[in-house]
Amino acid sequence: MSAKRLSANRAMWTQNVRQIGWIAIIHLLLWLAAIVLPIGLSYSQYDPKVGNVPQWKNVYYISNGFETLIAWLVPILAAAGVVRYMHEKRSADFIHSLPIRRTELLVGQMVFGWLMLVGPLVVAAIAAIGCLLGLDLPWPIGASDVWRWFGETLVVETVIFALGIVVGVLVGQSVIHVVLTNIALFFPTGIMVLLFSNMPLWLYGFPDGYYLSEKLMDWALPIRYAMLTDQAMSAGEIGMLLLLSLLFFSLSIWLYERRPTEAAGQALAFTVLRPLFVYGVAFCMCLTGGFYFGQVGDGWGWTIFGYVAFSFVGYVIAQMVVMKTWRVFHKWKGYVAFAAAMTVLFLAVRLDPIGYVSRVPELADIEKVYFGQSVMNWQSPNMMEREFEAFDQFLHTKDNIKAVRALHAQLVHDQPIPSRFGNIQPIVIGYVLKDGTRLIRRYQVPIEAYMPYFQRIMGSKEYKQQYYLLLRPGYSPIRQVTIRNVETGRPVVVLADPKEIESFLEAIKQDLWQKPVESLLGGQVWNGEIEFLQSDGDQFSLPIDQYSSHVRNWLEDRRLWEKIQK
Amino acid sequence: MIQLVDVTKTFDRFAAVKGANMMVPKGAIYGLLGPNGAGKTTLLKMMAGILRQDRGTIAVDGEDVWENVRIKQRLLFLPDFVYFFPHATIRQMADFYEQLYPSFSRGRFMELQSVFGLDPNKKIQQFSKGMQRQAAFWLAFSVQPDVLIMDEPLDGLDAFVRRHVKQLLIEEVAEREMTVVISSHNLRELEDLCGMVGLMARGVVQLERDLDELRAGMHKLQLAFRDGCPGELAERLDIVHREERGSIVLLIVRGEKRRVEETVRAFHPLILDVLPLSLEEIFMYEMGGDAHVRETVVS
Repeated sequence: MSAKRLSANRAMWTQNVRQIGWIAIIHLLLWLAAIVLPIGLSYSQYDPKVGNVPQWKNVYYISNGFETLIAWLVPILAAAGVVRYMHEKRSADFIHSLPIRRTELLVGQMVFGWLMLVGPLVVAAIAAIGCLLGLDLPWPIGASDVWRWFGETLVVETVIFALGIVVGVLVGQSVIHVVLTNIALFFPTGIMVLLFSNMPLWLYGFPDGYYLSEKLMDWALPIRYAMLTDQAMSAGEIGMLLLLSLLFFSLSIWLYERRPTEAAGQALAFTVLRPLFVYGVAFCMCLTGGFYFGQVGDGWGWTIFGYVAFSFVGYVIAQMVVMKTWRVFHKWKGYVAFAAAMTVLFLAVRLDPIGYVSRVPELADIEKVYFGQSVMNWQSPNMMEREFEAFDQFLHTKDNIKAVRALHAQLVHDQPIPSRFGNIQPIVIGYVLKDGTRLIRRYQVPIEAYMPYFQRIMGSKEYKQQYYLLLRPGYSPIRQVTIRNVETGRPVVVLADPKEIESFLEAIKQDLWQKPVESLLGGQVWNGEIEFLQSDGDQFSLPIDQYSSHVRNWLEDRRLWEKIQK
Repeated sequence: MIQLVDVTKTFDRFAAVKGANMMVPKGAIYGLLGPNGAGKTTLLKMMAGILRQDRGTIAVDGEDVWENVRIKQRLLFLPDFVYFFPHATIRQMADFYEQLYPSFSRGRFMELQSVFGLDPNKKIQQFSKGMQRQAAFWLAFSVQPDVLIMDEPLDGLDAFVRRHVKQLLIEEVAEREMTVVISSHNLRELEDLCGMVGLMARGVVQLERDLDELRAGMHKLQLAFRDGCPGELAERLDIVHREERGSIVLLIVRGEKRRVEETVRAFHPLILDVLPLSLEEIFMYEMGGDAHVRETVVS
């Protein structure tokens, strides 16, 4: 770049300092308030007799929510500031009449905006390290923690800023710029959540929870930033985010070269984006409405109402934004086309050409089945063994595999629509096949109608034994049994003698074996609470209910039953 | 020299400029006339490299203007609503221009301070609309561009300042051969300034003339003949307009003055007066039937 060109950029930068330099100052003050100030406060409040050192595991613990807000909103503000010149008609005309090439202009603005992020971060980091080293206190964090925070925060702020620039080039108004940048930030997560939440309405048995994992949340940068407290970024993640920023920066330049100056004041700078925006909003609103009314209302009537009403509202609002007037109702043909396309899409999925809904594996192919109420244990099975009452289980015996498969086949055949007032049990059925393939479905099952199936599975010895910790082999020995009055909560019986405990356990185990399946599906009456303390320090409780005949006999033999009843 | 060939610009299906052609010679003051909505502003903004044409070419000294730093350093655009950075003073704006335009002259800036008499350290936004426009002129003249493009620049200036500005413009053109394009919806405003005029209507430059040629190329004749106006005369003259006042015939004709006179004399008229036409009248006749355009430009 020649000296003259540098001078052109210097002119713009001087102007930037005057016009938007305050963003850098705000950025610095916010970070000082979020990180350096609490360090100073802790120092001034430290009392060596109490030893009240703050419990920070890393810099993100200092003021987590506040830090997230800064890293999320300031880069958007900076992006809005540096591209504002192209969003206002007169300034757009003025700036674009100047002898500066567009690429040069935008690169200059991007660098300036980025420096408004880096500069304050560097100062805040140095100030924080200075405080940690200078103020004599046994700090739980050190300089390396601050540098980790600096690096990760800079990466997150850079990506959000870069995204802000892309959106800024795509739109023609500052307000829409800020709103759309936020939407874009949450869009990947949001659209997946909406799609997965709607799938059970379209495909009977679709296990939405299985796909709505926490991983999805990583895709929304502000949420990811808030989670940095416990989950540091890997080199791979940092590399990917930097690559993404680079991609956004290059994309903005490419787009800016093609952006019409007259887009200033328009909602969207490129006309090709308008239908994309309008139908995109209509589609997202459609999914939102369907999901909401699918949950709240019952039956297809309300769900379809949700789809139609919300998508219509979304379509109309998007048209209003794009056309900058509320008189958009003559554009109804576009909505009809959208509705038709959505109907076709819906029917295509609903007709299930790949046989997703009706697929029940052959008995011979199945290695084991999963039967439970949540998808969580399907994903991480080692959690199950630690539960005191494990509803979710892998079952291996031939009988149980047959029973679960039979329930599955029946559900697929009946496709029962659960009533809002009946007893509903969410059921997750999974298969691990001999060739390693896995298959998982989730259903809402009316309990009464399918009781025989529940009884066959949950009444089996295999299921029962895995259900109760006390029936499983090799649990940590019980050291103490406390029986509490359920109304007062006061301990009325305490057994500490190993022999007594042993004999009590025999009685309760007999009760557990005999407990009917109904009591596992809710509807327990607590007459008292038995509390067990294990040798490993764990504690768990079981109820005394109408099925606890052996326990009752045991207590009556020792004249303890009355105490519990009082 | 500025040359536009078949320039077209469409906004959102609305064609603002539809295949306009235009030629501004170096050192000319070119007036672009036309009613509101004719496409003048759009055309000027394309000339200044602000808007990009959909079709056609716009060249200054043979080079494309779009994204051409070399050309844009020599070209300044003065919009109908002047823009300054928020809270900027004239001095700060001058610093800004100085860094962007190599031809900016500090000396000229100081010199013009006495002409405009504005306080360079006051925020421009605190000035009145007319003073802001003067500030824009002050800065524009300090830049000393080779090409100055102005969109309705004299609106909102009082007669005194207007005269000053016109004087400065004429001086600059004379001294440095600056090329000026200036738009207006009023012919009278440009009459004493422009050497060339283009008339724009409905997105097209309808006609483009040298004003002196225009003046020399159309005449008003007052004639009388013994036996009424011979029919043959009408065939031999390019008559734009004809009016009869008793025995006197009033003709507006196109053509060179001497030839027109010779042609008429051959028919031995009793009276032959060649009267001067005002520029307004010339335009009125040139534009013929387009009443709306005629009235806006000429009124």
